[in-house]
Amino acid sequence: MFVTEWNSSALVKAATKAGKKKNALTPMTFSLLHATDFADRLLYKIVPPLKAGMIVLADRYTYTAFARDVARGVDREWVRDLYGFAVQPDLAVYFRVPIDVSLDRLLARRVKLKFYEAGMDMGWSSIPTESFRLFQSKVLDEYDKLVPEFGLTVIDAAGSITDQQHTFRQLVSTKLERQS
Amino acid sequence: MTNDADIQGAHGGVTPGHYYGHGLPYLSIDRYPGKIIALEGTDGVGRSTQIRLLREWLEVQGYGVVETGWTRSPLMQPTIELAKSSNTLNKLTFVLLYACDFADRLEKEIIPALKAGFIVLADRYIYTAIARAGVRGVDSQWIRRLYGFAIAPHLVFYLRIDADALARRVLEAGGMEYWESGMDMKAGDDIYDSFRSYQRQLLKEYAAMADEFGFRVLEGRKSVNTIQEELRRQVGEFLEGSGSPRLLTPEA
Repeated sequence: MFVTEWNSSALVKAATKAGKKKNALTPMTFSLLHATDFADRLLYKIVPPLKAGMIVLADRYTYTAFARDVARGVDREWVRDLYGFAVQPDLAVYFRVPIDVSLDRLLARRVKLKFYEAGMDMGWSSIPTESFRLFQSKVLDEYDKLVPEFGLTVIDAAGSITDQQHTFRQLVSTKLERQS
Repeated sequence: MTNDADIQGAHGGVTPGHYYGHGLPYLSIDRYPGKIIALEGTDGVGRSTQIRLLREWLEVQGYGVVETGWTRSPLMQPTIELAKSSNTLNKLTFVLLYACDFADRLEKEIIPALKAGFIVLADRYIYTAIARAGVRGVDSQWIRRLYGFAIAPHLVFYLRIDADALARRVLEAGGMEYWESGMDMKAGDDIYDSFRSYQRQLLKEYAAMADEFGFRVLEGRKSVNTIQEELRRQVGEFLEGSGSPRLLTPEA
């Protein structure tokens, strides 16, 4: 088994970090940097374990970009074309949560919302929590469109972690049994 | 306005000054008064010299000029340098880093300059990216859609040269380097052979784009002055008919 996380390639880290620190990223450069990160991880971290017959667990996949970049105003079709090089996952699970729950959880964990996570770059509100609500609502709307388009399996993430994990394991084992 | 009409259709139906494809939906560029003039051509063909001379001339004519060049975005330059030196680039990340560099310059340099009525002189444009990707086997439709956020220039000049003349010129100017010799493609250890074979393939890619994107071809083997005269003639003709704003009255 192999785990890969969004935005973790060493190649792109420097540019992303610099861009985020200076709040210098536009929706387009944000989108392209994340696609570069994904391409780098696809080649070095995703394809080799797949070839070796391992299971790759991806914490976020192309759908994150489809939802987030489009919420920032990047063209819907363009970003799908951009990721045309990605490997289709065998199972894509979407943990759906209402905006209030996600905001509460984030605020409980951290002192401050991150600039881009809260969509502060869009300039919709100078109040971080308000900006987060506006931006992430758009992101969630996009996810809802992705569910039928890409056949994502939805797990209700407002429930307890135990329940979610139970459903998740069942989904995965069914998938694995069917494929073996 | 004759030139504008000529160019229309030559860019795959896209009017100069408009996005090639989906563009940046959040950034409208309608009726911006500036103009983009791109100079394309392979490594060492003499683009930068021509750009410098053209810029001087345009400024004397009273035009405001902004220059933009490949991989010069402050956001991406350090990463691209690092990636080139560390040997971890593959054809996809190569293409995407370039696209990111271009997007950064488009939004931060090119579009603001167009809005302010400047002439943007582009030392290489998206065609260099398309040619390099093509040689490396990247899907040609995919890369064209990727650059759908680019703006079709008002004029694209292509400095054409053959691989043998180019090899001599690059050697005279200081020697062949790893990337412009296509050594990443692992065709062999001999840099001279690799350079010629790689540049030949690149030139083929550029040639294939000439009609598609309406290149105005200039012979790169001619003297710097001859090329510059031809450039000035064509640019002058275009600008006269385009109603481009001048910052100053031209010197007599």
